[in-house]
Amino acid sequence: MLATVHAATLLGVRGHPVRVEVHVDNGLPAFNVVGLPDASCKEARDRVRAALVSSGLAWPSRRITVNLAPTGVPKAGAVLDLPMAVGLLVACGAVEPDSIEGIAFLGELGLDGSLRPIPGALPLVDAVEVGVVVVAPGNVVEARLVTPTVVHTVADLRSLVLALRGDEPWPEAGSPTPEAYTFEEPDLADVRGQRMARFAIEVAAAGAHHLLLIGPPGAGKSMLARRLPGLLPDLTGDQALEVSRIRSAAGEALPTGGLFRRPPWRSPHHGASAAALVGGGSAAMRPGEISLAHGGVLFLDELGEFAPKVLDALRQPLEDGTVQISRVAGSADYPARVLLVAAMNPCPCGGSGAPGGCRCPEHVRLKYLRRVSGPLLDRFDLRIDVDRPEPVELLDGSDGEPSSTVAARVAEARELARSRGVAANVELDAPALATAAPLSHEATRLLEATLHAGRLSARGLHRVRTVALTIADLTGREGPIGPDLIDTALGLRIDPFRPAGHGIH
Amino acid sequence: MASTDGVVASMSELPDAAWLTSLLGLPAMGPRRLGALLDGRSPPEAWTAVRSGRPLPEVADVVGGRVGALFAEWAKAAGDIDPAVVWAATRAAGVEVVTLGDAAYPRCLLTDPEPAPVLFALGRLDAVAVPSRVAIVGTRRCTRYGRDVAMELGGALAEAGVAVVSGLALGIDGAAHTGALAAGGAPPIGVVATGLDIVYPAANRRLWNRVAEAGVLFTEAPLGTGPRGWRFPSRNRIIAGFADVVVVVESHTSGGSLYTVEAALDRNRPVLAVPGPIHSPASRGTNHLLAEGCVPLCGIDDVLTALGLVGSAPLPDDRRTTPDGSDLGVLDAAGWSPTTLDALARRVDLAPVDLASSVARLVRTGWFDEERGFYQRVR
Repeated sequence: MLATVHAATLLGVRGHPVRVEVHVDNGLPAFNVVGLPDASCKEARDRVRAALVSSGLAWPSRRITVNLAPTGVPKAGAVLDLPMAVGLLVACGAVEPDSIEGIAFLGELGLDGSLRPIPGALPLVDAVEVGVVVVAPGNVVEARLVTPTVVHTVADLRSLVLALRGDEPWPEAGSPTPEAYTFEEPDLADVRGQRMARFAIEVAAAGAHHLLLIGPPGAGKSMLARRLPGLLPDLTGDQALEVSRIRSAAGEALPTGGLFRRPPWRSPHHGASAAALVGGGSAAMRPGEISLAHGGVLFLDELGEFAPKVLDALRQPLEDGTVQISRVAGSADYPARVLLVAAMNPCPCGGSGAPGGCRCPEHVRLKYLRRVSGPLLDRFDLRIDVDRPEPVELLDGSDGEPSSTVAARVAEARELARSRGVAANVELDAPALATAAPLSHEATRLLEATLHAGRLSARGLHRVRTVALTIADLTGREGPIGPDLIDTALGLRIDPFRPAGHGIH
Repeated sequence: MASTDGVVASMSELPDAAWLTSLLGLPAMGPRRLGALLDGRSPPEAWTAVRSGRPLPEVADVVGGRVGALFAEWAKAAGDIDPAVVWAATRAAGVEVVTLGDAAYPRCLLTDPEPAPVLFALGRLDAVAVPSRVAIVGTRRCTRYGRDVAMELGGALAEAGVAVVSGLALGIDGAAHTGALAAGGAPPIGVVATGLDIVYPAANRRLWNRVAEAGVLFTEAPLGTGPRGWRFPSRNRIIAGFADVVVVVESHTSGGSLYTVEAALDRNRPVLAVPGPIHSPASRGTNHLLAEGCVPLCGIDDVLTALGLVGSAPLPDDRRTTPDGSDLGVLDAAGWSPTTLDALARRVDLAPVDLASSVARLVRTGWFDEERGFYQRVR
């Protein structure tokens, strides 16, 4: 007696179709699960057994073999509890094989037979090979985002059997009230003073340039960074689906009534491991913070306190916009296109770091800064010092420019970027940049001199030109990029490692 | 003891300098303790006394407390040292060893209240024989202003035939010698606190070698001695002893350069201090010295006057293009203390986009020096 049930499993942030094959045969009573199940998937045996018994259904005291096909894909989590139970019911004849034709089942079982929601319902439902799917009531909203799949839901195994036998109709899944997305993002108007820093985050938002804020504690680095997502435009339809898919796979509840439509904001603590940041770390290969921030802002506060190894793991994803995680069990790709914003103190004592102005010996200060490797530093197109605001500015009642005004300018700059075929200027490659932003004669000579002085790498040169283009977009300048804009881009790119100059001019 | 007779026989041929080298290699052995050990004893006798591990009353007077432990430590260390081997290694490294009685011993230290019993030297010993020497000292954590002043002073003095004495530390010390070496002229004199085979700070290795080539390096520490906290103030007294005039370029309220000042005052050497902005922590110590009546250094001439030499060193030609319009305003707003872009944005009425470009232009044309995000005017 054999039964086959459609289901899906999560690998990284993508669902993969799975067929659960249940075979019940004569022999010594046993229950084996094969086909690369992980620990929680193997534990399904005990949950399924208890759930069937609690629901008043017969448990076959025979030799049961469950195979999860394709056997090469690792299966993780409790999502296959329900398909295993359904397969058993069919294999024992409690339910007719025809009644589960064309239906996929996704859900965890409680020992009482109740159906529980599972993380990643959105990508899982997306992956099933059939047009009808049964999920737990808590997963209905996410499952319904996948059109045109028909979604059924039941509260427990008992009502599922009744519905499959045709004794009772499928229960109505109460349609959730569509609710406007009302997440409040902090406003830039709250920031006092700090004209340069405000300008820098505007440029960062407009061109999606990675930004490094260096300043003493209390300078408002985190406050500034927190206001960056509010300057970014809404996610496009595809982006919203992708972002929601990732966060669903990470087990986050989607906003009531829909997808994530605003750019995410992630701010992992500096104790985070490399696996926590870039993903992997378990058989399910959970997405890391950089993927959870996909389409939005990844903020690393106290950059100097992160383990150097962890930071260097970020370099490749920052460059490629995707993370490939390879483990023994398999490999997975995650999208990871983020705007990286980092903040750090100029020196460990918490002073301003002014030359001759702090208590730290030079080697202690350098050791602190060197935790951020040169190659990582090179990925920050914008690097500025942030001062503590003056008391006058703090007490002065006048507000700064509100986020809405700045966001409108950013949206216009992004519109210009779209006309060049990219979402933001940072994605322009060298030929596209040469077409979009030719250099004036003086600007070329200036850059030549800067390269010659060893102040810029080849990557740096490309980035400086891109930042200059973004600033031109923001300030409405047209025509070839002049030396003044190149200078502005260079001025927003300080080098915290730069040793004291020795030459007398 | 029969088995050691042969070694002792060959050891008896060693010069006193060899015994002193090994004595100075003992842990926490300073000039005062060595002086007490040598009170009424020849160096080989002092070595034997140390090997015995019995505390000596003369040494107890200058150590105060824990003498037993110290002698035990010395005896243990001395057991592992073979003076003949140490001496051979010192000679092989090309290190000159001069003791207080030698003809080659620097004459300016002969009258010192606390002369070094032994000096290890690398380079030309006659470098100290120039008519006048000036010590340029200051903080390791200096500003661009301090570094510039130290370099200019070092250069101008070397050119005027005055040897620059300094400690080869980071910051002011290094800048003074860099300036002196660039100018040529009088040979530089470096006084360090580690063994001559241990470059400290390692970042100054090039400078260290250049000073040893063009001039001379002195130390009181035998080969293999790493940096020890107590050796630095002790070294500073030798710097003060060498110098006819001591110049403090920049100093925090406390710091090693103030030890040098103290040692210079003890030896009746004139001390000059370079005035700095009252906001600058790196000038707080020097400004305080000025308030206490120290002679201000307002130009190279002031040092030459203090030395009894008259002369004037003209400033080098300024080949920079004069900044115009808004750049001039930014330059004025920056003042002479390290300033961030953010602070400048508060002081000048320029859009951020124009301010950033103005600052980068000023760096490029040599009016600003950028150091980890801080902009400093360059004279």
